[in-house]
Amino acid sequence: MREAYIVTSVRTPGCRRSKGAFANTRPEDLLVTALNGLMERSKGVPKDAVEDIMVGCAFPEAEQGLNIGRIAAQMAKFPDATCGATVNRFCASGLEAIALQAMRIKAGWCDVAIGAGLESMSIVPMGGNMPRPHPEWAMENPDVYISMGMTAENVAKRYNITREMQDEFGFNSQMKAAAAQEKGLYTEIVPTPAVSYVYKDGKYEKVIKMQDFDDGVRKDTTLEGLKKLKPAFASTGSVTAGNSSQTTDGAAATLLMSEEAVKKYGLKPIAKVVGYTVAGCRADEMGVGPAYAIPKLLKMFGLKPTDIGLYEINEAFASQAIYSAQQIGLADKKYWAADSDSRIINVNGGAIALGHPLGCTGAKLCAQLMTMMQKKGAKYGVESMCIGGGMGAAALFELCE
Amino acid sequence: MVRRIEKAAVIGSGIMGGGIAALCASAGIPTLLLDIVPFDLKPEEKDNKDARNRIVKAGLEGAKKAKPGLFMDKKTDPDLISIGNLEDDFDKLKDVDIIFEVVVENLKIKQSLFERVEKVMKPTCIIASNTSGLPLAKMAEGRSAQFKKNFVILHFFNPVRYMKLLELVAGPDTDPEICKFVEQWGEKVLGKGIVWAKDTPNFIGNRIGVYFIAEAFRLLKDADVTIPEIDAMFGPTFGLPKTALFGLADLVGLDTIGHLSENSYQLLVNDEQRDVYQFPQFVKDMIAKKMLGNKTKDQGGFYKSEVDLATWKKIKKVIDVKTGEHKEFDKKAVVPECAKKAKEAKTLAEKQKAILFSDDKASQFAWKLISRAAIYTANRIPEISDTIVGIDNAMKWGYAWEAGPFEMWDNIGLEESVKKMEADGLTIPESIKTMLKKGNKTFYKIEGGKKYYYDLIKQEYKPIIFSENCLFLEVFKADKKNVVMSNDSCSLIDIGDGVFDLEFHSKMNAINKNMVDFMTEAAMYVYKNGVGMVIGNQAPGIPGAFSAGGDLSYMLGLARSGKFSEIDQFIRNVHAGIMGIRYAPFPIVAAPYGMTLGGGCEVCLACDKIVAHAELYMGLVEIGAGLVPGGCGMINLWRKFMDSVPGPAKLTDFGGYFIPAFMNVAQAKVSMSAAEARANGFLGPKDRIVFNKDYIIGEAKKEVLKMLDEGYVPPRKKKIPVMGREAIGMVHAELLNMRGGGYITPHMETIAKRIAFCMAGGLVNCGTLVDEEYLMTLEREAFVDLWKTENTQKMAEHIMNTGKPLMI
Repeated sequence: MREAYIVTSVRTPGCRRSKGAFANTRPEDLLVTALNGLMERSKGVPKDAVEDIMVGCAFPEAEQGLNIGRIAAQMAKFPDATCGATVNRFCASGLEAIALQAMRIKAGWCDVAIGAGLESMSIVPMGGNMPRPHPEWAMENPDVYISMGMTAENVAKRYNITREMQDEFGFNSQMKAAAAQEKGLYTEIVPTPAVSYVYKDGKYEKVIKMQDFDDGVRKDTTLEGLKKLKPAFASTGSVTAGNSSQTTDGAAATLLMSEEAVKKYGLKPIAKVVGYTVAGCRADEMGVGPAYAIPKLLKMFGLKPTDIGLYEINEAFASQAIYSAQQIGLADKKYWAADSDSRIINVNGGAIALGHPLGCTGAKLCAQLMTMMQKKGAKYGVESMCIGGGMGAAALFELCE
Repeated sequence: MVRRIEKAAVIGSGIMGGGIAALCASAGIPTLLLDIVPFDLKPEEKDNKDARNRIVKAGLEGAKKAKPGLFMDKKTDPDLISIGNLEDDFDKLKDVDIIFEVVVENLKIKQSLFERVEKVMKPTCIIASNTSGLPLAKMAEGRSAQFKKNFVILHFFNPVRYMKLLELVAGPDTDPEICKFVEQWGEKVLGKGIVWAKDTPNFIGNRIGVYFIAEAFRLLKDADVTIPEIDAMFGPTFGLPKTALFGLADLVGLDTIGHLSENSYQLLVNDEQRDVYQFPQFVKDMIAKKMLGNKTKDQGGFYKSEVDLATWKKIKKVIDVKTGEHKEFDKKAVVPECAKKAKEAKTLAEKQKAILFSDDKASQFAWKLISRAAIYTANRIPEISDTIVGIDNAMKWGYAWEAGPFEMWDNIGLEESVKKMEADGLTIPESIKTMLKKGNKTFYKIEGGKKYYYDLIKQEYKPIIFSENCLFLEVFKADKKNVVMSNDSCSLIDIGDGVFDLEFHSKMNAINKNMVDFMTEAAMYVYKNGVGMVIGNQAPGIPGAFSAGGDLSYMLGLARSGKFSEIDQFIRNVHAGIMGIRYAPFPIVAAPYGMTLGGGCEVCLACDKIVAHAELYMGLVEIGAGLVPGGCGMINLWRKFMDSVPGPAKLTDFGGYFIPAFMNVAQAKVSMSAAEARANGFLGPKDRIVFNKDYIIGEAKKEVLKMLDEGYVPPRKKKIPVMGREAIGMVHAELLNMRGGGYITPHMETIAKRIAFCMAGGLVNCGTLVDEEYLMTLEREAFVDLWKTENTQKMAEHIMNTGKPLMI
């Protein structure tokens, strides 16, 4: 089989739902910025080389509907020949899009393609505008519709992930992100126009500002402050706003190529997409997904957990991220603590600080992982996340020499 | 000139100022709220607008956060208030039509403020001081003739939104046109009860109220009764609020009462009871020790609440007058014999007699206090008011007494009580002696459908002049022929022009079987003899209860003995009655106020129109009793939601309507005002909100007549679109999260699912148009099925016994 190479990987900043910079920016516009930023950084690759754009989106409806993959391609001025599709596997959607393009390249069906992800949680709410669970199934077994917060509570309760552990994990995520932001480590970010409509002199004016940082990072977070937060999903629970991911707006895109195409355009690829897998689990504890998906992935390629130089395990909730790390054999705090030099999990913070724009996250974490694999010279990188409904996804990347 | 209040200003943003501003805004009047620039501004803050407005901002925030709420619609009313400070924004006063002065009670400060106001105000602007004791004449000293013409005292009571009393004081120079205007404006627009007072210290309410408290302090000193015993007598058992006497002192604060009392002592040099205003030593000690009541929680007041750290139980303590220490007591153990007797009595008159004329020590104390207070009050005419009506109203509206002092005197029997007072060696006021000599034995009487009061000055009966907007059922009922039908729980009263009022008068006006049967008969009577009907009553209290719900005892009895087919039949009758109201061939208007819960709410939802008092606490709360609404409440609420969708609009997201309608019932949401009831969807665009509680029956009657004028036809029966299956899927999925999160108990979840099933119209396709009868069947089945469960029986029994829902 052929190899599939990642040539470029970028993202917009992640900005807080409703309160952040992108609250009034159309999702298509976020995606267009990511796509154009991607092409600008892929010097020498003309837009008409791109055969297809797949966009992961967890709630592909309303402003994100009507096959946003095709619409965004047109809005970003790709030629008519460049196709587009929307992919949904909830929180793995962006990674699913990248994996699908990689498979097509590996199969020899395609040479140049983009895998992307997008979610404007400000504009299309989580759950969609009109959630309509199947009545008879909801009466029989509503677990598949369970709220994500409840699953996090279930994980915490069933696997003894205490409030203290979760708060500590959340605090570390914030500290890692704050430090990375200060050091300017998020080089995969494409400055993105943020739109607002400001009432001025009796009229509404469209104002555009360039946003180049993740606006959910709180460097002044303290453990004491986190301890005081009320449970968000259960009256006597342990999952709070401070140890859960933030709901966020953002887009991300990755350019993938076959070896022939890499040579043709004279590019130096970042990494190979080695493999991708999904694994199922109980819906009411969907957060444990990575604990199944990562071992399955590593076994597929004969690797040990410690063979992997960098992990991006999506922090949907601290409870599930901690449990997943425990289950893959990386329970020790040193693997993720902000003050640990040997940390390999979410080295620059995760969704608790940087946000979790559902369908975008898979593509976004890929961009972050590509940046850090290059910086650290990590041979293998693993990206993984839990998925609503009870699943986990994981992908293995290998750094190009 | 047509006078209008288009804009108001309030100067001073403390508790009273913020309250007045909130009331004006709630009544829809744009209001400017001003306060001083802070004295402690840092140099760098001198030009900072936010810093300069810090005090007024804090005042407005306080009003927004106040509990109970001061704004009626928290979401939109505050937008009507703009803020500023007395330096930068003073000129803005030139645009307003009324200025409320609510600054600190300091004559000099007020005088210099008015001097500044005079320079900017428009010539027609009314200036109203909210002083609670400073003389009007002094405040207006040095002002122009124009200013004096426009100057009045409008004295509000705290909390402004809830206390009905508004005392008006005019000066010798006040323009009579302005007096008439503020009286009407205060009554109609702000909904207050107006009492004209004179320019005497503490006016009427606080003059009598503080005397009453001070006299109690004085008598307590040498009496052999305890504070809890006194409060057990002078709470609801005597027609006084729950706080009773010493609890009220704690609530208001001993410092405030001290100031008022001191004011009386200083200024009332000729008062025959002047010494009473000097508090006994133990009260002075309390004030010195900062034991002021609720505002000094750690020191307490007369009462003090502590928590036993071992058991986390609240311990209620009361002060020992002799030692000044707080001691634990058991509220139930201290009820004196006379108060127990009073509790058993049915009418207020019997209760008051029981308190005053029993043999126990406590009763003797009560008599001492009340006899002295009654005499003191009678002696205040004409000093503080020309009429007994003014004094009675002030005490009812400002102190929430169920009966004013003279009404109480009528209740206990004037002649007998005067004899007893004379036997005690008390000096009877000459005016009372003359009154009795002339053979007049009551202060009030109703004759020929008119209510009269006794004028103690002219020594004759005079008719009470009500605002023409006020209709009082009590007056109609005095003429027996107006009561055309009646049973122990409700009556049908002829209120003129062919309109009849259906009055509830059961305990808390709860709807029982007798009422349900009566409703149908009453409707038949009106069908034959009248043109329309008002459903309204005038129970006392703040806020009072239009109807606190359905009477559960009857159905619980049936359920306990397994008579479910009888419950089924009862609900069929209820449905027939309710839908009878809806489709009656004559207009029916509901006039709810205060608590309008469960069945009471359902009656209103069935009417052609609702004319609600602004203080409306409306909701379908049946889930708390283990039930779903059984009087078509869910159907009529959902219909109201669907009727608000304009014809040409195609509804794609039924969920946007279903969720709030369902949550109203499943969460037992109760509005905290009529504005909120409208926001919750219980009041529709046709329904009206009236600020004055005494107006609502009259306004409802007007609506009946107006509908007739316009050519009334009853609403036609039409099918109702329902959300069906999609709603049920949604609710079941969400309840999983609520159960998991511990936000709903198992039986409540069962009920919530039944509510969803009823309101969604069962498992039909979304958008199906269904018959009303079908929805009624769903409701009835849910109702009867729930009664069959042990858990619903337990919940119903629990709420009947405790007033609180049982969470199971």
